[in-house]
Amino acid sequence: MKDYRLYEIEDFAMDEDFVRWVQGGGHADERFWNAWLAQNPAKHLVVAAARQIVESMRLEPKEVPQAEINREIGKVLEAVKELDHQYRQPRPDSFIVGKRWRIAAAVFPLVLAGTLWLFVGKQRTSSTSVYATAASSPAFIETVNGGDTLMTLVLPDSTSVRLAAGSRMTYANHFDSGVSRDVYLSGEAFFKVAGNPRRPFRVIANEIVTKVLGTSFSVRCFEQDTTIRVTVRTGKVSVSGIIVTPNQQLVYQRADRKFEKTLVESPSFIVPAKPDDNMRYEEKPVEQVFDQLSKYYGITIVYNSELLSKCTVTADLTNESFYHKLDLICTAIGAKYELLDGQVVIQSYGCQ
Amino acid sequence: MRENLLQPDSHWLLRLHQGEHDALAPLMGRYYTILYNYAISFSGDDGLVKDCIQEVFIDLWQRRENARSILSLKYYLLRAVKNKVLKSIGRQGLFADNSLLDNECEFYYEFSIEGIMIEKQLSDEKAARLKKLIAGLSKRQREIIHLKYYQHLDHGQIAELMNITTQSVYNLLHETLQRLKSLWRFEFVSG
Repeated sequence: MKDYRLYEIEDFAMDEDFVRWVQGGGHADERFWNAWLAQNPAKHLVVAAARQIVESMRLEPKEVPQAEINREIGKVLEAVKELDHQYRQPRPDSFIVGKRWRIAAAVFPLVLAGTLWLFVGKQRTSSTSVYATAASSPAFIETVNGGDTLMTLVLPDSTSVRLAAGSRMTYANHFDSGVSRDVYLSGEAFFKVAGNPRRPFRVIANEIVTKVLGTSFSVRCFEQDTTIRVTVRTGKVSVSGIIVTPNQQLVYQRADRKFEKTLVESPSFIVPAKPDDNMRYEEKPVEQVFDQLSKYYGITIVYNSELLSKCTVTADLTNESFYHKLDLICTAIGAKYELLDGQVVIQSYGCQ
Repeated sequence: MRENLLQPDSHWLLRLHQGEHDALAPLMGRYYTILYNYAISFSGDDGLVKDCIQEVFIDLWQRRENARSILSLKYYLLRAVKNKVLKSIGRQGLFADNSLLDNECEFYYEFSIEGIMIEKQLSDEKAARLKKLIAGLSKRQREIIHLKYYQHLDHGQIAELMNITTQSVYNLLHETLQRLKSLWRFEFVSG
């Protein structure tokens, strides 16, 4: 039996029965919670806060019209009947629902051969997009990954590109002319750019331009996406003048035309780990711990060194994730951290 | 037709097992909208999502021998649809040797900010903060909110679906709730 008297805001907000009540449960829930609140008046504020949180996490479900669902049901029933029929009279080709992938498979070899091929299938690109304009120019090669696996290609300057499924890329058939090496992307790709300081490499994904000298990074920009993301693995890239470094991710909100710099969800070491690199500390001044962390992950950690001068850490953080390391350190020194503009900011009142 | 709605999943799974095609119809009708909403969060491509849902039900038919062993059909279907969609958009094998990007599959969760604003009569300033907070949630935080507060799965199912431990589910959820709590905190401390 749950003892709700011990529950804090988060506990309520996570509790199945509580959530059901907030999301419009039945009479029984109403009765139970009203009675409980009457008995525990001190918990009113906590319950109200938990309610606010649950209510603010509201999904806007897309309603699928019943007619559409019925049509889909019809298609599936057709397909399974057809399958059974084939089962009794085996035929060489297997049955595939939907024509999408079949068409894609047919054009695939053409694309691999590097032939200029204009997208004639289901047109998803709006005619005004930067991508469409570039793709229709005769001096460019368009590569379409219509398959369902990753496609690797090498550009004339020996930059290697891994193009995600459903993505398209256009580039000049040679990079000799022009001041920069320009690639137009619709979809998602990972680039390992061949260094050439005299001729910057640029990825143009609709509204945003990512410029690099030699590095590896990925860009995600599908026409239907509301954001464009640039994630850096090594080196440094410049996106419309904003510098992005490893473990950072720049998100561009297309509707508001705003950039936001964040950290990736699970930052990884930017330098290969050496066997003697451990993060075992005994009474270690926390500043040194932060500096080491910052060096390993290439992430800036901002703190007030005067306040932290007396804080020390005793822990083994070798195998923890980046955020868990931060959590443990902050707990140890009674501090909090915040992620701000792709950096970690430590808030602390100091240690005795 | 009405009595179809009242039958539990196990009833239709049994009929499926016995080789009745038509048992697929009430099951599809029951789960279509929630599967669609989960799948569309990963891809945004209506055509692709519909194709995937079709395939999931066709697979269910082809595996009807084992249909009776499915304990939670909803969980089974959500999982199958997720795998199918991720496979279709080619993300599972994407950047396979790159752990940094491996987990970076997107999750677009539509929050009804306008609805909340009107209902709660939020000030513009608070609405802007809510918007920013939600925009700052990671895709895993969005997915966990979707699974918990929309799909109403239990923590064990969420853990399996997201390929993390139950403890991580708890932690991730706790962390997400704390973020959201910060938005309302002033109100309760000062009020």
